[in-house]
Amino acid sequence: MLRASSDVTFEGTVLYERAGARQFLTVASAPAGSRGELRRMNAEANPRSEFWPIPSRSSKRICNVAEVYVSSLESGRVIAGRSTQRLTLRPRDTLRLTHLVDMDEETGLPLAMVTLDLDGQMLERYEYAAIEYSSGVSGGSVGDVVEAGYHRGRDIVPGYFLVSENPDRGVFVVSDGLATASIFVEPLPAGAPVGEGAIIEGATLTYTRGVRSASGGLLISVLGEVPFVTARLLADAVRPPLEGS
Amino acid sequence: MTAEDKDREALSALMDGEAQELELRRVLDSISSDPSLRERWRRQQQVRELLQGQRNVSDVDVSTRVREVLDTKRPVRRNPIWSMAVAASVTLAVVMGGQQLLIPSSGVTPASVVSELGGAVVPVLGAQPVQASLGARALPVSHRQATGIQTTGQSVAAVYERLARDRYHRLNGRHAASAAHSHPAPYISYARVPELKLEAPDSE
Repeated sequence: MLRASSDVTFEGTVLYERAGARQFLTVASAPAGSRGELRRMNAEANPRSEFWPIPSRSSKRICNVAEVYVSSLESGRVIAGRSTQRLTLRPRDTLRLTHLVDMDEETGLPLAMVTLDLDGQMLERYEYAAIEYSSGVSGGSVGDVVEAGYHRGRDIVPGYFLVSENPDRGVFVVSDGLATASIFVEPLPAGAPVGEGAIIEGATLTYTRGVRSASGGLLISVLGEVPFVTARLLADAVRPPLEGS
Repeated sequence: MTAEDKDREALSALMDGEAQELELRRVLDSISSDPSLRERWRRQQQVRELLQGQRNVSDVDVSTRVREVLDTKRPVRRNPIWSMAVAASVTLAVVMGGQQLLIPSSGVTPASVVSELGGAVVPVLGAQPVQASLGARALPVSHRQATGIQTTGQSVAAVYERLARDRYHRLNGRHAASAAHSHPAPYISYARVPELKLEAPDSE
């Protein structure tokens, strides 16, 4: 499944829903080594093309996902005229969300996906309404393993590891191989009290925490498709200056 | 079924990641008073790590850390290495930028969206389970503070709800660009964000 988006040549229409809103997208896979294409069909007339990156198809990534999710496979429903298999990814702990993925039985492409919170409530979903495959595959054999472009940094909280960091800008990105959270650190706005708060938009949680230390105030913002407890732990992992020893 | 059997069953559920929070708390209570159950958990953890192919099996008492996470009165610093790395960079930025530490290199000063609301200081607020649903809204955050400053607490909650909403709108494009690399359908990360807000992911 993780390789299908880059290995299979396809073009289709996707319905995406979250937070009571829905939009239709047309997506096309990338020619070998290139980017995929996306158009938002409800945004404007004759929408322009946007591009999405080729996902990593590293075997290490698959192992990382297997470490923190319990997977099960069963027969799925028909989606966009294609037979599917339902892959259920349930977290082994309370630090991540549940994902139900309906994969094309033949190509492995994820034709539908539902993300659930810890209580089983739906946060967001997408589903193909139509899809067409071109003959053959792009970018080499489906079986090829491409390790390039996948890096597992040091562990931050259980199952989540650093994938990129830009300390000078106060930006850190962590992942568990499937879910991603971005952590932004900046000065606490003038006059802001110490505290915390969060909002959720679909599956994306935004958590903010203001802290003070001897060297001044910091505002830590965590954005990610993660539960609240994970966002708090990630914020806990950031320490104010002069307290790093 | 004896209480001991129930504890062992609950422990198995916990190891399988199927325990609910209340059950987890009960097991932790039992473990704290039952050394044999505590040892059983430690052994099971080691076996699990061996089965997962970890070469160096940890000998860490996981129950203590789990308890700390559940105990909202004691926020836990989970990873000293991360903390040190972040702290080092922030210290460097302080030296270079004074009070403007960690201002993005674009030179854009963060908006003072709360400055008009005063500067009352309250303890960092505690957590509570989140009931997320298909609908954008603020999440409840419990307030551990004296009744006399309840109004202040509500103001703080309002401030941070506004801050969270503001940061969501300002930063979700950058987050989406990073998240696309991990999502099985990368274009879905982009669909979460209005197209004009998309930015390149942050790199090392």
